[in-house]
Amino acid sequence: MKCNQIKEKFSDFLIGEIDEIKRKGIQEHVTVCNSCREELETLSAIWAKLGVLPEEQPSNNMRTRFYATLEKYKKSLEQEKERFHLGKLLVGWVERWMPRRPVFQFSFALLLLVVGLAAGYFFHSSWQRGGEIAELRQEVLQIRQIAALSLLRQESLNERLKAVGLNSRGEQPDEGTLASILRTIGSDTDIYTRMATLDDPYLFPGFSIVKEELAQSLSEQTYPLVEVALALVHHIEHLK
Amino acid sequence: MNNATDNHLMEQVRDGKVEKLAIIFERYHVMLYNFFLRLTYNRSLSEDLVQDVFIRVLKYRSSYQGQDKFTIWLYKIARNTHIDYLRKRKDIVLLDEQLDKIASQEPLPPEKAEQAQEILRLSQALAKLPLKKREALILSRFQDLKYKEIAELFGCRIGTVKVLVHRAIKELGKAYLELSGGVAS
Repeated sequence: MKCNQIKEKFSDFLIGEIDEIKRKGIQEHVTVCNSCREELETLSAIWAKLGVLPEEQPSNNMRTRFYATLEKYKKSLEQEKERFHLGKLLVGWVERWMPRRPVFQFSFALLLLVVGLAAGYFFHSSWQRGGEIAELRQEVLQIRQIAALSLLRQESLNERLKAVGLNSRGEQPDEGTLASILRTIGSDTDIYTRMATLDDPYLFPGFSIVKEELAQSLSEQTYPLVEVALALVHHIEHLK
Repeated sequence: MNNATDNHLMEQVRDGKVEKLAIIFERYHVMLYNFFLRLTYNRSLSEDLVQDVFIRVLKYRSSYQGQDKFTIWLYKIARNTHIDYLRKRKDIVLLDEQLDKIASQEPLPPEKAEQAQEILRLSQALAKLPLKKREALILSRFQDLKYKEIAELFGCRIGTVKVLVHRAIKELGKAYLELSGGVAS
């Protein structure tokens, strides 16, 4: 055998997983091959040396912990069994009441579906009737109007412009809001804020007080551009 | 005979008689402890890992088929436990550091000092091997597993295991010589 083939069997030789013929083959080879002999001697020496590493015993604590874990696991299994027993009882009860023939089972399922849909419809409409949404909507509107009011009173031009459009279309404006809007149109120091605020009163179409106030505001305007815009707005409203 | 008994016990555990695991624990906990100890050189950690192995045995008991030799199945769980530990732990104390700690912390009586030095050098040399080679060497030298069983455990060919063990011993010898100051003892 060649050296490579011999060396491949060194692991078997060390662990003792080798038949007698191969063992003799290795032994004969190493008597004539110095390189293989040296390698086998080194491997055997270190293999034998490993025998000095002692086997240790774990502490008793490990055993205590294991038995505690096992006990806990057994208890959880017992609890699971109890739950399983209850589940079986429930399944048995359902099985007793469930129709046997598929056609009846289907009818029963259909009935349950119809009952479910009817219950869903009933609860949905009663919830809507409760008017919770309407209340919430009213609250949101109030908050928007308060925000618009406070923004219109700001010193900063940007802040005042932010107030434009915060009011919602088609809702009755309260007196404070309307007064602020009209005050802005009539007397704001910035012409662009006045022009932009012009949009707001027409968020409230159909409210006569708004029209009257705007008509009065037209006669008091000092800026020609605002006057023209107001007149145009009036004209459009009139055409409608 | 012993294997059949192990398999039978584990089948009972699988089928709900979990108290039978106590017999398996008594048979194998020392073996597993020493396997982990030679991988980690940390006694309390090795105890934790053995505990974890038996918790996993309970957890995965329903997957036990009984077609493998029981110890192979147990070692598969043990290897996974160790690998998971290595993955989870970010503050792994290097084995060399662990061994240095042992060397500095455990004063030994003078008559045993030489043997203790030998054990320490060998352990340090073993710690220098890559994990897979160390495992192959430990399993074949200390845990009495055949190459065929190690191959089954590693999911590779027997030839691969033989090469691993051969190289592991060679590297171990080299590392040992280096630690001994280049002089073979």
